Amino acid sequence: MPLQDKYRIAVLSAYALALHGFESMLPTPIPWLRLGLANIITLVALMLYGFRTAMSITLIRVIIASLFKGTFLGPSFILSLGGGIASTAAIGLAHALLKNLFGPVGLSLIGAVAHNAAQLILAYFLFIQRIEAVLIISPVILLLGTMTGLANGFISDLLIRNLLKKNEDTIHNVVQG
Amino acid sequence: MKKIIKSTTLADRLLFLFLTVVSISGIFYAREALPQGNDVIIEINGKPAYSLPLDINRSVSVNGPYGVTEIEILDRKVRIREAHCPNRICVKEGWVSRGIIVCLPNRIVVIVGGGNERHRDIDAITG
Amino acid sequence: MKRLPALFIFILWLFFGFSCTADKPSMYKKSKALMDTFVTITVVAETPEKADKAIESAFSAISRFSNLIDFFSETSEITVINNNAGIRPVKVSSQTLDLIEKAIEAAEKSHGAFDPTIGPVIQLWDFHKGIKPPDNEIRRKLPLVDYRNIIVDRNASTAFLVKKGMMIDLGGIAKGYAADLASEELRQNGISSGLVAIAGDIRAFGTKPDGMPWKIGVKNPRQTNEKDEIIARLSLTDSAVSTSGDYERYFMQDNKRYHHLLNPKTGYPENNFRSVSIITGKGVHTDSYATAVFILGPEKGMHFIEQSGIDALIIDNSGRIITTQGIKGKVQLEENN
Repeated sequence: MPLQDKYRIAVLSAYALALHGFESMLPTPIPWLRLGLANIITLVALMLYGFRTAMSITLIRVIIASLFKGTFLGPSFILSLGGGIASTAAIGLAHALLKNLFGPVGLSLIGAVAHNAAQLILAYFLFIQRIEAVLIISPVILLLGTMTGLANGFISDLLIRNLLKKNEDTIHNVVQG
Repeated sequence: MKKIIKSTTLADRLLFLFLTVVSISGIFYAREALPQGNDVIIEINGKPAYSLPLDINRSVSVNGPYGVTEIEILDRKVRIREAHCPNRICVKEGWVSRGIIVCLPNRIVVIVGGGNERHRDIDAITG
Repeated sequence: MKRLPALFIFILWLFFGFSCTADKPSMYKKSKALMDTFVTITVVAETPEKADKAIESAFSAISRFSNLIDFFSETSEITVINNNAGIRPVKVSSQTLDLIEKAIEAAEKSHGAFDPTIGPVIQLWDFHKGIKPPDNEIRRKLPLVDYRNIIVDRNASTAFLVKKGMMIDLGGIAKGYAADLASEELRQNGISSGLVAIAGDIRAFGTKPDGMPWKIGVKNPRQTNEKDEIIARLSLTDSAVSTSGDYERYFMQDNKRYHHLLNPKTGYPENNFRSVSIITGKGVHTDSYATAVFILGPEKGMHFIEQSGIDALIIDNSGRIITTQGIKGKVQLEENN
């Protein structure tokens, strides 16, 4: 892995962590509503720097955040990790296979759905084991995920545009390398 | 901003529309499908621990990984009054008269259901 | 982006709008200990207040009624009649008189297979401790069992037991009658759909909020675990169902099952079936006929069912389930049996 990549992963992970931390300080008006702001970083990283970078950032963010909060290897860590891996994988897959079909907004929505689905499945197998509990909360979670996914998609789109505009040369360089 | 909305692909928009419709109809359907119970079933670690009639007011304390969780039944409604899990989502849900409250960190599920698992669709038993 | 908040609000409105659909009929259910058992009433109503008021008033109707006919109460009208057996006619309320008449009717119809004067013989048996009375004791008490020795005077509103020592026990018909009473009380409180279950005696009227019939489980007479409690389920709308079974109160002795369904002619249990469930319009009929058919046995019992135009679900001694034509489409057998 080139030094540049390591540096970039470190910086982006720091951004993701900061957003993650900022988000957990916000009061949530509706239960289950998580903004998932850190997913913006994942999405931007994926679209600009590729799947490996995005997955590394997700893993680092989830693990370090749980260490800070003291939930490492606990139930919420497992949910967080499963959701993060699933959403990054889904975005990566959709981006690679259906490159021109979905823009950042669509990819963000795919990521949000994958994130929620993975968490619900994990919650079912690990903790709840009551299918109707999962079925009842899943549409609510899906709706909230769609809303936050949409918002995150717009922010990601904006961010990518600005980054591309500012450092056109650098970005080109990276994409080629 | 307008530019960004315009920049979304047709697939993006269709996906958003699809998810919104599916989730909203899902919410509607889930509400309809909720069983109207008379018992409050409290499950701990996926196993039923309590089955209490919904029409008798009382409180129950349940021990979990995050300490004691207080569950309260009052006037045919149930809530988690107190919990010490990180997000306390279960407490924020407030009073429910049907459906389910889940406290994931404490692994507590409170269900307003109809008693016997297998015979939930049966209204009475003769014999 | 400007339109986004509006969309979000619209979706929230949809979400909460659906959750506030008020005044939609729902089912409400309440249980109370009455008549030495559990009474559970389910009603379909628009508001919990209306449901509660109707259910409570049905509970008090059952409670008032059961005070009149309670065999074990010192002060009930039935006890007064029994205490004055062979002495004098006793003036009773019209409700008690009505039920005694209904009991005599059922006894006449079943040629004494159901008999409300079985009391003196039943008392000899202790199903809880598993004591079988000596044969001569039963023979000695048997002459006291005869419904034809109940004299009812409608005009004077009195009931009289001709022989001293006779006892009238309406336990075999009162729960079904009370279920009818409670249903009537619910109707008068504006309830058009409901279910009254007094132990195994059930009266259903109307349908559930989704328009589906009420689902009644029939108990498995040879239940082995929690999962096989139900042997069949019945879909009922405007009818009653009662079950008499050899598993309710019984003891085993010398490999023989002694249960509480005694033949009034012999004073001993009849092992004709495992259980008999009767389905027809009124609880007062299902309650007494279930016992009658159980005592009458396969041949006479079937004849009785045909003649009375009632429906039945019978579980015979080999565990076979027999149903009448009239309920063929309303019975669903459980898979695990």
